[in-house]
Amino acid sequence: MSEDPITKSHAADFPQDEPRIGVYVCHCGSNIAGVIPPEEVVDFAGKLPGVVRSIDTMYACADSGQRLIKEDIAKYGLNRVVVSACSVRMHEPTFRGCVAEAGLNPFLMEMANIREQCTWAHGHDRAGALEKAKDLTAAAVAKASFLTPLNMIKVPVTKRAMVIGGGVAGINAALDLAEQNIPVTLVEKEPTIGGVMAQLNKTFPTMDCSI
Amino acid sequence: MVDAARQPLIEVKTFTEVEKVEGYVGNFVVTLREKAKYVRADRCNGCGACTKACPVEIPNYFEMNLAPRKAAYIPMSQAVPLIYNIDMDACIHCYKCVEACGALEAIDFSMEDKLVEQEIGAIVVATGFSHFDPTPMTEYGYGRFPNVITAMEMERLNNSAGPTNGALIRPSDGKSPKQIAIINCVGSRDKRYNPSCSNFCCMYAIKNALLLKQMHPDTEISIYYIDIRTPSKGYEEFYDRARESGIRFIQGRPSEITEDPDTHQLFISSEDITLGKVIEREYDMVMLNQAAIPQPDQNHMSSVLNIAQSPGGWFMEYHPKLRPIDSPTDGIFFAGACQGPKDIPASVAQGSAAASRASRILHSDSWQIEPTVAVVWPDRCVSAKGQACGICARACPYGAIDYTKGLAAEVITAKCHGCGACVGECPHDSITQLHYTDAQVLAQIRTLLAVEPEKKILAFRCQWCSYGGADLAGTSHFEYSANERGLRVMCSARMDADLIYDAYRLGAGAILYSGCHPQDCHYITGQVVGAKRAARLEKIFERMQMSPGRFRVEWISAAEGDKYARVINEMQASLDAIPEDALKAEIERLRPEMAKKLTKLNEIPGVAQASVQVDFIVDEMIGKEKVA
Repeated sequence: MSEDPITKSHAADFPQDEPRIGVYVCHCGSNIAGVIPPEEVVDFAGKLPGVVRSIDTMYACADSGQRLIKEDIAKYGLNRVVVSACSVRMHEPTFRGCVAEAGLNPFLMEMANIREQCTWAHGHDRAGALEKAKDLTAAAVAKASFLTPLNMIKVPVTKRAMVIGGGVAGINAALDLAEQNIPVTLVEKEPTIGGVMAQLNKTFPTMDCSI
Repeated sequence: MVDAARQPLIEVKTFTEVEKVEGYVGNFVVTLREKAKYVRADRCNGCGACTKACPVEIPNYFEMNLAPRKAAYIPMSQAVPLIYNIDMDACIHCYKCVEACGALEAIDFSMEDKLVEQEIGAIVVATGFSHFDPTPMTEYGYGRFPNVITAMEMERLNNSAGPTNGALIRPSDGKSPKQIAIINCVGSRDKRYNPSCSNFCCMYAIKNALLLKQMHPDTEISIYYIDIRTPSKGYEEFYDRARESGIRFIQGRPSEITEDPDTHQLFISSEDITLGKVIEREYDMVMLNQAAIPQPDQNHMSSVLNIAQSPGGWFMEYHPKLRPIDSPTDGIFFAGACQGPKDIPASVAQGSAAASRASRILHSDSWQIEPTVAVVWPDRCVSAKGQACGICARACPYGAIDYTKGLAAEVITAKCHGCGACVGECPHDSITQLHYTDAQVLAQIRTLLAVEPEKKILAFRCQWCSYGGADLAGTSHFEYSANERGLRVMCSARMDADLIYDAYRLGAGAILYSGCHPQDCHYITGQVVGAKRAARLEKIFERMQMSPGRFRVEWISAAEGDKYARVINEMQASLDAIPEDALKAEIERLRPEMAKKLTKLNEIPGVAQASVQVDFIVDEMIGKEKVA
């Protein structure tokens, strides 16, 4: 089975180090800054206990934004990073990678979603959006204060693929995998592969046989 | 098709269904049901003697039931692999096939379904689509009027390998039709059936019209359409060719087809938008261009694979723009129309893309997975003190918890998927989840409710669905109340009752408890655990006479941005309906009751320590208000 690099008791422990948090509030061009003034979130976050650096950036995900975060980690001795920007579904891997490049454990980064779940949803209520952006940032700071470093779990890989469905897409996927020397099981519920494609007469644009 | 069968690294398993998928990226264990063919693959030489001998005839689904097949059959002559089947539902056990097979002895009536397990590193789901059955659209008379046929029936009728060897005849009298109509968007772009566009049918109508025209130049063909959509390379040129070749395009969705019962001639009533009037035209034959719909077993596959469906029932991708090939489950990828209607070039391209995504994993010796797993504090576990419990093991959807009475429960890290069901269920707070510890989540709740908590709607969302739904509300700019304060955990199963009680103790105005729909759960049965708990909480709060609307449970998928916005707005309206004084009084009345349920909260490792730091943060936040 897998290696187990989690020293369990340690990982669940309360962090012992004093938090030194950097907060980065993204403008995302006008996506965020068009609704709320990021500087106000920066000023607010800068006063929160544990925060030693708070600054806005035009695009946190851009090279310049990431460079700022990486330089600050060294310059201010940051041990936690909060990025108030977009959805974790968008850029959590980006910022985890960014802090890791600066030598910080990637799980010591927390995001506040002040774009999809704030400025984009509350364009009609700018004051409300600003209050919400501050609260979401504060919540991220609060969580970040208690984050502990974690390591990804490494698991072995069985070198065999399964393709479920033997239509034109599945057949092509199976062929591509096999041509890369990967064994494939191609599963089809009907008695023959071919799918809908096999039932068709000549097809666009070549107008030749479908099989 | 033949290439796939010839490739030595591809094992083709036909007449086989996926029964169960367990495990995780790099390490799936898939159970397959190899259905009995009653013909032994190692002996059948594909000669077809059994089919010739078989006396039973039933409709052949492959020919859209326009031609018969035998009980001993292959669906089509080019079947791959070329191994015959005995259809046991139709077989009359005359054993003529056995006789005909003779010394080969390939037919074996004792065969049974076989369950086989395979260890698999990555899975490509390419289960395709199905066709809308136009029978319910009575206005078009499909099934009543013999000369109204579907697109797939036309495919077989016009196919040289089909039941008529390619002779185009109309079903009522076998005559060759001279006036043919094709109706587009049958069951698609129709709010009664499928609101979405089926993607390829415009091109498909044009292809069929051109093919018919080429083979039967004296035939007149009309295509009824709402819009003609030809966005890809070479498509518009193809449309031009069709118009130049004399195919008539009529913009208008037909309202009705009527039939002359003696001649079976058909009459289509429709608006012609370009002429600006209602027209009626006579045809010998009408082809209904049906919508593409999800497979009938798409729901079943969705739960076997633990992957969600978009509205409309298609499999839902991890991210519509950035990860369109990936399922939300690491190591499972989509190819073709199972993810949404696609034409042939797009399906082929997605097949290659899925192969490429999968090969990233399959070419690696190891793969990394998130460490957000559950961890037991052995000294807090009551089982270690001899008490019978095992609640955590029962809640776990993966059997990842080792429970033996007398020993502390233990999480098998490799099996844990990190839903947090055990954490939410443990009545003694003896388990936590890395990266979502009680100390961490409580800290978020306290800061989100620091200022004017009674005005806030605290929204607990699961990572995979409801958080995505909230994201989609934003990307779609569906506006909702800015009093919402969102919080993310991995699964609704992690939404511990303590977290909810504490939020009310802190004075939360309203709480949304949200997660995926049961069939979409990323963690098999995590949602079931969350839903049961939510139902218990609803009863508790009802007994406490909490005002209606202050606790709401909703299952919202990542595709339901509109629903997320609507639910929050409705919650805001319920909150607004409670007079401010009454709300404050109710919060005060319930505060001690909530506190009573939380007497042991501070004993959870880290919680008391964290609250000291959170106090400072909250003080600062309140101070901010005072200055303002």
